[in-house]
Amino acid sequence: MQTKNTTKVPRRRFFKWGVGVISGAMGLGYLGLAGSYLWPPPENTEPLEKVGSVKDFPQGIPTMVSYQGVGVKEGVYVTNLGNGNWLALDFHCTHLNCPVAWSQSSKKYFCPCHGGIYDINGNVLGGPPPHPLPRRVIQQQGDNVMVGGRLT
Amino acid sequence: MKKWLDERLQFSTLIASMFEHPVPKPSSFMDYLGFATFFIFLSQAITGILLATAYIPSATDAWESIKNLEATPVGHFVRSIHSWGANFMIVLVLFHLLRVFYEAAYKKPRELTWLLGVILLIGTIGLSFTGYLLPWDQQGYWASTVGTAMAAYVPLIGEFVVRVMRNGSEVTGATLTRFYSVHMLLLTVLILIAFAPHFFFVLRQGMSATDELTAAKRRGENIETRSMPFWPNVAWRMMLTLLLVGIALWVAATLAPKGLGDPADPLNKNQYIPQPAWYFFGVYQLLKYFPPKLDPLAMVGLPAIAIIVLVGLPWFDRNPSRFPRQRPIALAVATLLVAGMAYLTYQGFRSVPKALVTTTVTQPSYKRDIDPIFQNKCVMCHGNSGNYHLDTYAGVTMKNVIPGNPNDSVLVKKITGVMQPQMPLGQKPLSSGQIQTIKNWIQDGAKNN
Repeated sequence: MQTKNTTKVPRRRFFKWGVGVISGAMGLGYLGLAGSYLWPPPENTEPLEKVGSVKDFPQGIPTMVSYQGVGVKEGVYVTNLGNGNWLALDFHCTHLNCPVAWSQSSKKYFCPCHGGIYDINGNVLGGPPPHPLPRRVIQQQGDNVMVGGRLT
Repeated sequence: MKKWLDERLQFSTLIASMFEHPVPKPSSFMDYLGFATFFIFLSQAITGILLATAYIPSATDAWESIKNLEATPVGHFVRSIHSWGANFMIVLVLFHLLRVFYEAAYKKPRELTWLLGVILLIGTIGLSFTGYLLPWDQQGYWASTVGTAMAAYVPLIGEFVVRVMRNGSEVTGATLTRFYSVHMLLLTVLILIAFAPHFFFVLRQGMSATDELTAAKRRGENIETRSMPFWPNVAWRMMLTLLLVGIALWVAATLAPKGLGDPADPLNKNQYIPQPAWYFFGVYQLLKYFPPKLDPLAMVGLPAIAIIVLVGLPWFDRNPSRFPRQRPIALAVATLLVAGMAYLTYQGFRSVPKALVTTTVTQPSYKRDIDPIFQNKCVMCHGNSGNYHLDTYAGVTMKNVIPGNPNDSVLVKKITGVMQPQMPLGQKPLSSGQIQTIKNWIQDGAKNN
């Protein structure tokens, strides 16, 4: 008696699809593993860290401090704005991340790479930077000045 | 041995297909550039493996491990060969590309060979870029910071791409580990995977220079007078070329051994001014000319266009001719681009920080003593894009310099701080020796000497 294959999946097609689906799933699995390995750590989760005491920061003069990040020290300019107000700016120029330097004589931040200029609040005054200097979390806790991750 | 291999692999046929084909006279050494590039890659692989036995890929130990390596003559020499080899490979691969372009060897039927060549070019640049960070010195650290920051200009996903490259927001020890694995494994494997078919296609199709001979042979013409056999004539010339390239590499590594800069300082306490590797000088210089609003075009748009044009060249170029005289537009555009890039690279060379005079020069020369100070300290702001140009003699002497009278020259007042703000802004003032040298030059008449 002849059997009909119309309602059943033929063996060859079953294997073709089976091998295809399992191979695809494994391929996606490897991609997923690679993705989870290469995915960068979450942003702005750095803990608050003491960078000095209030007396270390004369009012109105940005002072460079180092924040112990992952594996390296990160440069942060801390400004005591007075009346308990503080400002912490990441010292990487927003143009190409060169390190900016504060010039007390002109009261501006300058980038040595392409001439970016920022005011004391990190706002762009000239040159190619597309954004103000990134701000970081800063808090005064008693006599301690604490700095954290970037503000979004 | 030959018989044993022949029985199993039909070795004679394989060898015959590789070695027994005619090559037109005269055979140009420019046709050996691809082979020379592969030879340098092998040298890089050998020296890279040797370096890996001593190198420690961590932010705390990388610099120290290279320093220790440099303490031994052999270690220092191996590192110098590897460093020079990277430069040789970039130069050879670029010349190889230009030669293939000039010969129109990317056209049908060799489109895939060209495509794989573009992948090999990108892989080579990637190897150089990732290798630059590994010594963990100031130069590598800040070049990698700036280089990865360029990716932020990719629309929508730029910031994320930067974080993936750095494995975080900043260049850290995690970035070093990532670059190390990409340099050692990912890109090396990519190059090998792309190289195998690239080489196989060349063997299978022959070099484009042999096409005319093959056609003539098919027509039944006698090609003996205008050809020579690949083996031994051309093969030995190739070997000789490789030998010369190898000797040049060893001589360069001996005469100009690779140095190691100061350890990476992410706080940049000594106000180091970042500079890229020389093969990125063109882009580095281009950014100075581009208005800020067009930065995304310079950093992402142009490289993307360059890659698209390179990848699609065999299909974009519809002109079937391979003769240079019948391809005036393609060759004119390419010449213009190469000349432009060479000019930008030269300008970039001029403007990167060089060793400056440390003591006073009594009779200074503008070109030798004065221009390097301006290129080093001033043109970042007072370059081509600023209102006051200090990148040329004409710009320097246009205003603010009174020949014969340094003390009344605004330039001197600015660099000494008599007139505020003192220049260069945001950096350490010029040394007293440098200031006095500039004064002496103005006193002597501010000549263009």
